[in-house]
Amino acid sequence: MTRAPLAWPTLLALSLAGAACTDRLQGPKETGNASSPTRGGTLQLASFGDIRSLDPATASDALAGVMVELLYAGLVDFDDDGKVIPDLARSYEISPDGREFSFHLREGVRFHDGALLSASDIKRSIERALHKDTPNSAASYFDRIEGFDAFRAGSVDTLSGVVVTDPMTVKVRLRSKDAMFLHVLALHSLRPVCKSGGSRYDDAWSPCGAGPFRLPPGGWQRGLRVHVVRHEEFYDKDAPRLDGVVFTYGMQVVTQRLKLERGELDVLRDLSQGDMARFKGDARWRPHTRQEPARSIFGEAMNTERPPFDNVEVRRAVAAAINRDEYQALRSGSVVATGKAIPRSVPGFSAEVAGQTFDLERALAHMKRAGYPYDPETGKGGYPKPISYLAYRPGYSEQSAQLLKQQLARIGLRLEIRLVSFATYLTLSQRRNQVDMSAQGWNQDYPEALDFYEALFSSRMIADDQASNSAFYKNPELDGLIDRAREELDPEARQKLYDRAQAIVRDDAPWAMTYENRWLVVQQPYVKDLVLHPVWIYGLRRTWLDLADSAKQERGNP
Amino acid sequence: MARLRGLHRFRRNRGAVVGLGLVGLVLLFAALGPLFSSHDPFASDFAHGVDPVTGLPVGPSSRFWLGTDRLFRDQLARLAMGARLSLLIGVAATAISTLIGAAVGIVAGWFEGERPFHLDVDGILMRAVDVGLSFPFLLLVMALGAAIEQTTSLTILLVLGLTGWLGTARIVRAKTMTVRRLLFVDAARALGGTTPRILLRHVLPNVVGPIVVIATAQVAQMILAESVLSFLGAGVMPPTPTWGGMLSDGQEVFTAAPWLVFVPAGAILLTVLGWNLVGEGLRDALDPREQP
Repeated sequence: MTRAPLAWPTLLALSLAGAACTDRLQGPKETGNASSPTRGGTLQLASFGDIRSLDPATASDALAGVMVELLYAGLVDFDDDGKVIPDLARSYEISPDGREFSFHLREGVRFHDGALLSASDIKRSIERALHKDTPNSAASYFDRIEGFDAFRAGSVDTLSGVVVTDPMTVKVRLRSKDAMFLHVLALHSLRPVCKSGGSRYDDAWSPCGAGPFRLPPGGWQRGLRVHVVRHEEFYDKDAPRLDGVVFTYGMQVVTQRLKLERGELDVLRDLSQGDMARFKGDARWRPHTRQEPARSIFGEAMNTERPPFDNVEVRRAVAAAINRDEYQALRSGSVVATGKAIPRSVPGFSAEVAGQTFDLERALAHMKRAGYPYDPETGKGGYPKPISYLAYRPGYSEQSAQLLKQQLARIGLRLEIRLVSFATYLTLSQRRNQVDMSAQGWNQDYPEALDFYEALFSSRMIADDQASNSAFYKNPELDGLIDRAREELDPEARQKLYDRAQAIVRDDAPWAMTYENRWLVVQQPYVKDLVLHPVWIYGLRRTWLDLADSAKQERGNP
Repeated sequence: MARLRGLHRFRRNRGAVVGLGLVGLVLLFAALGPLFSSHDPFASDFAHGVDPVTGLPVGPSSRFWLGTDRLFRDQLARLAMGARLSLLIGVAATAISTLIGAAVGIVAGWFEGERPFHLDVDGILMRAVDVGLSFPFLLLVMALGAAIEQTTSLTILLVLGLTGWLGTARIVRAKTMTVRRLLFVDAARALGGTTPRILLRHVLPNVVGPIVVIATAQVAQMILAESVLSFLGAGVMPPTPTWGGMLSDGQEVFTAAPWLVFVPAGAILLTVLGWNLVGEGLRDALDPREQP
């Protein structure tokens, strides 16, 4: 009994010492010298996470989205900049009142089972995805389609707002104008599936769509990997260029790095902070590292219903007291400082309007105006009570919370940090009157500023529980802007509304914005035209491999 | 005379002396810690604590003797502060668990085979101990630590102290059962001593040897348990430094900044080793069967 405790630290120290000795990165694998894209080869991807579904109607997580995007094509899709473009639709028109969308299908599009795509497949797939028995977490995005409520309630068998006008044309009618309809349509959930998918969701169905890759029998080994192969009859004759893509799940972060070094993995996205620094610091690898476009924004949410943050001057003081460069320095691989509410790569980002900025003098002036003057010399004054701050671990907020505590102590705000599990954090931080302040972030549903403003700052998103407006912030002017943006079909006019919203969020400071997350991606030099996609993580339609001859023989299918 | 012989045996036990030296060093470090480092253990130093090329914490240097941590704070200052907390938790939790363990053990041992007030005191206490011992100690502590939402140093040492007494109770009970059959106990009873008085004045002094031995080794175990709790994220809230918490923080950047793991791991290793060696030395020294 008395000897046993010795074993633990000894073993740890020894194993760590062992790990440290073998620690030098192998260089990247050689590339060939093809001057133009060639076909062939299988791309190897991996993640530590796992997926639960490959059905477009129910796959909701970003990780599953990578493969769902390969298996299913939609009427519209997002291009490499996050703009909506036609895909299976050759073109589309919007009626003058903005309530009717007509999609004209491409000729000769074939599903993986060989059947030709027609307008009735579109309608069938939409009804399948929105049926009340389908566990589709994105269904409410489409609640403006005419007849949606009756169809979801099960009182009618067909969705009246989706009409097949001829075999190659389908119309969608909305109850009211929705400038975001094409955006949500470009997401995965309504994408057409083969006739074998039927008109109702079925768990046992084998994925089959009209995307650039198809799933061969046994292609999905649950909990292990998905292997998709080229759909030879894909409508775009230039795509895809790869023979196949293999995505392995549940792979340890260290294993992924070792496999990349050995050339058994082509792209690495799950990096520890140490590995980020090592790849960026290695001259051989640095040219092959890139930062993804941001899909998420982070900030410190202040509960505007509780003191001291019911006082706008205290919120302004916090927004001015935060030195965002230090946030970035804390994790320079993936954290990019920002004082704005929208990531800069997301359409609707206000380039012209200033964001929140760091200025300690101004922060102290705001504290004074709030009635809590603080003297940094003596440390006297400030807000007298401790402020509860909620964050989660494991995660970056473990560190950023400690940084924030230091920064706010300089203006006389004293944080009491409370770290909990992510699940507890979600429950508590979105519950009314629970915490004063919390680390917050938002991951886009679709790439447009409206999604962020609506989820985070609309008073409609306040609830006693599960409030996505975790600052419990109410501003009728901002609510009005959000409603108008939702109905504004002209992108430029919409931008003006977003610019005003950005100014309001900056000055009212329900959140002190802090940073956007841009993952570091490392890839082998022979991987060409791999798009770091703003929505789907990877854009692989045009990706090709330029393997040196020696490497070609090493790589077989797994 | 017996005590002196014990002291002599302890001094001749090289391991025990090394252990005592280690414990002394750690105590000294905890007491004088702030003298070793002029840095504030809570202040990030973005000007000097960051490697300008990699953006990672800097390694050991003349400015930061043990490098900086992930928030670019001085690792030495935090280690010293953590030493105080680790020792405080280790010693206080052991005090609590020894107190409870000794009380339960003496009472159970005294009433073994009897039914005072028609109650099987010994049976009830020992079955409770059996139930407690059927959970692995660290698992039990972790479950409790996770159940308490707002953990502070006080709750941690209470959790550790209130769960760590089970083994002590067992051993003290066995020793008590031997002692209570000895002649001087009968003599005390014949002279009219009440049960509490006999337990305190006559039984306790005779079981104190094993208690001291267990307690010393248990300090090591408590320090380790606190480290495990903090390592797994159920320990003291940041930015308060604890050795386990520092170890946990360092592991993600281990490949790039190994000192963030080696320093707290080494501190835990040496401290636990020290207390264990002292405990074993004491056991050998106080064991009456081991005559030279």
